[in-house]
Amino acid sequence: MILSDTARSAFEGLTRNTTRSLLTTLGIVIGVGSVVLMVSLGATFQRFILDQVSTFSGNTFEIQSKGLEEYGKDPMTLTEADAEAIAKLSTVKNVVAVIFVAKKVTYGTEELSPMILGASKDIFTNWSMKLELGRLLTDGDLKGGKSVAVLGNKTAEDLFGNANPLGKRISVGERKFTVVGVLKALGGAMGTQMDTPIYVPFTVAKTMTNKGLFVDYISLQTTGNTDLTGEDIKSLLRQRHKIDNPNDDPDKDDFIARSFSQAMDILETVTLSITLFLGLIAGISLLVGGIGIMNIMLVSVTERTKEIGLRKAVGAKRRDILLQFLLEAVTLTLFGGLIGIVGGGYLGFILTRIAARFIGDLSFALTPGSILLSLGMAVGTGLIFGLYPALRASKLHPIEALRFE
Amino acid sequence: MTSSKTTPLIETIGLNKSYVNDEVETPVLHDINLSISSGEFVAIMGPSGSGKSTLMHILGFLDVPTSGHYNFKGASTEEKSEDELARIRSASVSFVFQSFNLLPRTSVFDNVMLPLLYNSATRVSERKDRVMKAIESVGLTDRATYLSNQLSGGQQQRVAIARALVTTPEIIFADEPTGNLDSTSGTHVMEILQNLHRSGHTIILVTHEQMTAEHAERIIRLHDGHVISDDRAFTRRIAKRGGQIK
Ligand SMILES: Nc1ncnc2c1ncn2[C@@H]1O[C@H](COP(=O)(O)OP(=O)(O)OP(=O)(O)O)[C@@H](O)[C@H]1O
Ligand SMILES: [Mg+2]
Repeated sequence: MILSDTARSAFEGLTRNTTRSLLTTLGIVIGVGSVVLMVSLGATFQRFILDQVSTFSGNTFEIQSKGLEEYGKDPMTLTEADAEAIAKLSTVKNVVAVIFVAKKVTYGTEELSPMILGASKDIFTNWSMKLELGRLLTDGDLKGGKSVAVLGNKTAEDLFGNANPLGKRISVGERKFTVVGVLKALGGAMGTQMDTPIYVPFTVAKTMTNKGLFVDYISLQTTGNTDLTGEDIKSLLRQRHKIDNPNDDPDKDDFIARSFSQAMDILETVTLSITLFLGLIAGISLLVGGIGIMNIMLVSVTERTKEIGLRKAVGAKRRDILLQFLLEAVTLTLFGGLIGIVGGGYLGFILTRIAARFIGDLSFALTPGSILLSLGMAVGTGLIFGLYPALRASKLHPIEALRFE
Repeated sequence: MTSSKTTPLIETIGLNKSYVNDEVETPVLHDINLSISSGEFVAIMGPSGSGKSTLMHILGFLDVPTSGHYNFKGASTEEKSEDELARIRSASVSFVFQSFNLLPRTSVFDNVMLPLLYNSATRVSERKDRVMKAIESVGLTDRATYLSNQLSGGQQQRVAIARALVTTPEIIFADEPTGNLDSTSGTHVMEILQNLHRSGHTIILVTHEQMTAEHAERIIRLHDGHVISDDRAFTRRIAKRGGQIK
């Protein structure tokens, strides 16, 4: 029997009891629909998290004094000279020393306590912060020790509302600064942290604190293998700080060094497992749908025993009958799967849109890969749960089947 | 059995059949020795339960004997797999059943087409013509698009005959084809079978009615699974009496 005939016979078998076929399909629609929904929501969530983190390019590397973790407890350990020494390594660029300034920021009656960072222009590159208004910090600002500030988007909004902040003079502690730039908002969960800081020239920040030659933080980008460069940086710092730590025990170091790519790898693994877990839960409903298919196919085989006997009497081989019933099951699950993908995908899209209202930029992720995977699962369900009934049908004895009442 | 002319189409030697249900063995056919040549019109007669249908199913490859030999065109059929038997059914035999056995809610056309789906010898492009020819030969051209359940019993049986014809099989087995029909429809069905016989088909007809059996040129009588008579002279006897075979 040629395949198109088998397909037609299968289709006719299904349409002879349309209501039942549709109801059976519903189980698959729900099963595949929830798989698609869960996987797409998981992927959307994953993309959201990774997008936030990838604000920092993967080869950004950061070093901080251990004291930063428990503020004020340990002495500061990193120095400007450390930063200069690191900058001499061949596989780094954009080495920026950063000092944190703890002062109040006021404009008119508004008073805020944002994080104030003394840094140079490279910090914006390392953190992928983009300019919205005005200009970024320049080398000239640092050399001239100019009292200029670049504001995070949120802080600019809190201080000035809708007014143009450029050229306005704000107070940082006792000192007046001219606002020369405003950064683009990052939005999202990360935005609350990244959109508030104020950036002032490193040289100016230094005069506002009594940290001497110490710095709080060094940010840089690696140009080669991040892990290898990380090792180089660590051994350089250990050598400079006279720390004997051949076994790479972080407890012995007086600094913390880490790359963003490590953090991203971990996040990616975590979010992917969440997605797979959600998909698995949804897969259970597909299993239930599959059992429904098997049940209906068994009923159908019993009901159509005479038909099977007749087909065999006119020359059908086992394989012909097997294929027909398998195709019936697969047609049901494929059809249900298609509807489920459209339905689940649409529902996921709507939910993403609703969620986007609360947490900002969310782009719905339904990849061709996950669509194919769902379709594959639907077809697989049909094959697995259709196999037993189809085998039963194919093994019927022609005469016993014909005599069946 | 040296020339193909003397090789019978169907030959059984000491064929037995018994059913086994729950360890209980029911012998149904005993030592059946038959030889049927191509082109014959044979009636198998006997009381209910004598094993007529069982014999027909074995001869038509729907079932297998418990012991003994069945040679088809001189070739042994023992130890053939189920799929090989299916291939012989598809290529060489057709059935007309007492209870029609049409696909429900399916058109006359599609019902008649069914055997062609499993018949690899028929090209897809030939199908339509052959189906329409078969439907025409049973006089149902104007009903081709009707669903099987929209037909009278006599019409349904004619559809079943058309379905049996469509592959132009060598042998047509008919098990009580008129059993569910009134006499007019029954006569009509028998006329069609007669015509098929005249055009060269081998017809094996199972019946318990003498009237129906008289259409055949040879009558084999079964009783309790034994062949009790095999009357080939029947036709001549009728002819001598000046009777008409109708
Ligand atoms: N599957 C089976 N299991 C056990 N016994 C069976 C089976 N099928 C048929 N028989 C027995 O075989 C015998 C012959 O049955 P068969 O159907 O061949 O009779 P028949 O001559 O065609 O009768 P009828 O004229 O009533 O159709 C019967 O006694 C029947 O009970
Ligand atoms: Mg019978």
